[in-house]
Amino acid sequence: MDWFFPEGIYTIAMVGSFVLGAFALKLPIAIALAAAAAVGALCGGAGFPIRHLVEGTFGYLDTILIIASAMIFMKSVQRSGLLESLAARIIRLFRSMPLMLSLGLMVIIMIPGMITGSSTAAVLTTGALVAPVMIKLGVPAVKTAAAIAMGAIYGMIAPPVNVPAMIIGGGIDMPYVGFALPLLVCTVPLAVFSALLLVYPYLKKGAGDEEALEEDLSRMEETPLTAGLLMPVILLAVLMSGEQFLPSVWPPLGMPVNFLLAALSSLLTGKKYNFLEASREAVNDAIPVLGILMGVGMFIQIMTLVGVQGFIVVSVLALPAWLMYFGMATSIPLFGAVSAFGSASVLGVPFLLALLGLDEIMVGSALSLLAGLGDLMPPTALAGIFAAQVVGEENYFKVLRHCFFPAVVTAVWAVVVIMNANTIMGYLP
Amino acid sequence: MTLIYRAIVLFILLLVVACQFREKDFWKQTTAALVIIPLVLRLLMIK
Amino acid sequence: MKIKGTPLTALLLLALALSVSALAATEFKSMWTDDLFVPAPGFEKHMLSEWFDGLKGTPADNPVYIQKGEEPGGTVLILGGTHPTEPAGMMAAVLFLERAKVSRGRLIIIPQTNIMGYSHTSPQEAHPRSISFTTADGGKRTFRFGSRLTNTLYEWPAPDIYIHPASGQQLPGKERGNINRCYPGIPDGSPTEQMAYGITQLILKEKPDLSFDLHEASPEYPVVNAIVAHERSMELAAMTVMDLEDMGIAMRLEPSPKNLRGLTHREWGDYTETMPILMETGNPVQGRLRGRTDEKLALTGVDKAYVVASALGRLYIPYDGKQTIEYRAGRHTTSILAFLDNLDLLFDDKGVSVEGVPNLAELEEKGLGFFLSPAGR
Repeated sequence: MDWFFPEGIYTIAMVGSFVLGAFALKLPIAIALAAAAAVGALCGGAGFPIRHLVEGTFGYLDTILIIASAMIFMKSVQRSGLLESLAARIIRLFRSMPLMLSLGLMVIIMIPGMITGSSTAAVLTTGALVAPVMIKLGVPAVKTAAAIAMGAIYGMIAPPVNVPAMIIGGGIDMPYVGFALPLLVCTVPLAVFSALLLVYPYLKKGAGDEEALEEDLSRMEETPLTAGLLMPVILLAVLMSGEQFLPSVWPPLGMPVNFLLAALSSLLTGKKYNFLEASREAVNDAIPVLGILMGVGMFIQIMTLVGVQGFIVVSVLALPAWLMYFGMATSIPLFGAVSAFGSASVLGVPFLLALLGLDEIMVGSALSLLAGLGDLMPPTALAGIFAAQVVGEENYFKVLRHCFFPAVVTAVWAVVVIMNANTIMGYLP
Repeated sequence: MTLIYRAIVLFILLLVVACQFREKDFWKQTTAALVIIPLVLRLLMIK
Repeated sequence: MKIKGTPLTALLLLALALSVSALAATEFKSMWTDDLFVPAPGFEKHMLSEWFDGLKGTPADNPVYIQKGEEPGGTVLILGGTHPTEPAGMMAAVLFLERAKVSRGRLIIIPQTNIMGYSHTSPQEAHPRSISFTTADGGKRTFRFGSRLTNTLYEWPAPDIYIHPASGQQLPGKERGNINRCYPGIPDGSPTEQMAYGITQLILKEKPDLSFDLHEASPEYPVVNAIVAHERSMELAAMTVMDLEDMGIAMRLEPSPKNLRGLTHREWGDYTETMPILMETGNPVQGRLRGRTDEKLALTGVDKAYVVASALGRLYIPYDGKQTIEYRAGRHTTSILAFLDNLDLLFDDKGVSVEGVPNLAELEEKGLGFFLSPAGR
């Protein structure tokens, strides 16, 4: 009881007021989170700590700049006609090779995540690009979104850039070196599995109505796919890869600048559109997510302030050994509801310390995979929310339902990798 | 580079405010208000 | 709960957001004022820009205090506040700054090494903004409690990945604001890299024989209650660890890892001739298992979450329910004093003699505030 009181009560108060706000009062999730943070602070005897509430939001300031600029980029290439035209071309080229196409689409979804370390970037760039292709080819919209969300998460975990692994390694002063192969072990089998599960069966079956498809295709090709039209995508790829692969000569522009430059370049090609209007619409679509991140920031800061964070972390560490792996496979993704990066830092590091003795790089990689799953966990569920958005599905829970099974397989795979970390490392060159 | 990023913050801040004024739902306007706070403080280089 | 939104409600909400911003701004700005230090007689105040003029007029320019003894001897450098979230490191340096009487050799002190980390606190850490001590005359001395990293305003935007210039080592981008990943520093780099460069220049020009970088670590982190020594400092460190053992102070001795770059114990050793020593004490307020986070935790280390974690065998320090700042700063001062004795023993002409600095027992008996100068003096 001493352990539970008062932090357990605070936990219940915070989670309870969030649930009440979000589900009973049907407030937007951002508002429910902010209110729950305020309730937590009040219960915890901290009054209404404006400094803490506002300071918490700054944990995601850079993230909201990336999201807003990525959304502007996506809206721009939609308006210029590029997205549809490119999708039509891909369909024509690969329609007859379903297996290769399913795996190829998965790789395409993963690439921006691999380069930027952000699942959001993956969903909003190549995810948005392949979404219409997959739907036209007969993959149901929600399954398309699920495949994009899963691919984006595997991309974020796959090398070369994996921010959760860097965060977890940083917590024990382990340099981010030698992670490439372990991370491939963590992600490649799962990416293949998800492609075969979510995409391949539908591609094999075909779209059904060939005539309707042909009609759609010709409409999509209205803006001819020229090198000029492709410029925004090429520019973005060059900007992102330059920063990653030529760091000594390339100016570190950062993702917001890369996205905005690529978005602006779409003005020079394709259909004419109003850039300001497109940007406003993009930000309008993004505000609920930006708000959620602000709410999450407040929520975490208050959790830390009143002691709920330590209560949760130590409670999980107190689990008996046989429950520990289960605890790890559930708590890290669950905490990812607040943020995958936050989860890597708050829970990933203590678990890695608890598992010293197993190969640290392999364990750190697998823990980062579990943290990545956090991007599927509501209310934030960044990968799920944006994947739903790119396929035009309003209720992202419908998408998450189809992610559930691959996510469970992912968590199990992470645990298997952790338990056999030393053996697997032995097999790697 | 910092100036470029401040310009981006200003651009997004203005878009958020524009959306807030066009929005017909009070709670979504409130969500926009949440986003405005850190953008303003960073624009002014206070936090 | 549906409520209609109109331009009027939007205007009201915008006004509300701006007022909240204004209120928060006054709180954030309260950390922009420098802390007061009362150096002991004999200390001269310099600025880091005297060793690297690129820092002049920038927020990275940092006070450096030097006291020279009557007798010639060696030179010792003490850095506190490399990480502002590790207050015992800063307070140990402050105790030397406000108490030390140097009779032989030279003592150089930088109490708040990453001074750019003291003007803010990190999001989502919920750390207190300051810690206070009651002095012997009943007055109060307050010091800021900052962030592990340089104020975001000076390092913004952070790169996605921070590449350590001297080695190519990759770290999360925000680590560019961690001065203890930036050494030896570069003259045209980011503000934090420039500051690291300034400190390396100071070491190259003043040639301290022995240089300390005082830290604290989470109780659940293996390198805690520890000395990390470069190859060159190893013999001296080993002697000191044995002496501390005799005094009942258990201390781990860790060799500086060769592949972990940008840290004082590695780069000072490789790029200068000094003997670098980094020291860690156990500090719950920076740990990930900590419960309620406030000034009291920073000063007492009393935390029931750590009691449970200790019972679970998760900690690398003996934890009896508290880790007071007196104990933590006392471990640092006692260790430094033991190092000075051994420096004299090992290198005849390089000795530095210091009196007046309280050791662990004195700090635990009288409290840290007792040894701070009253603010009014």
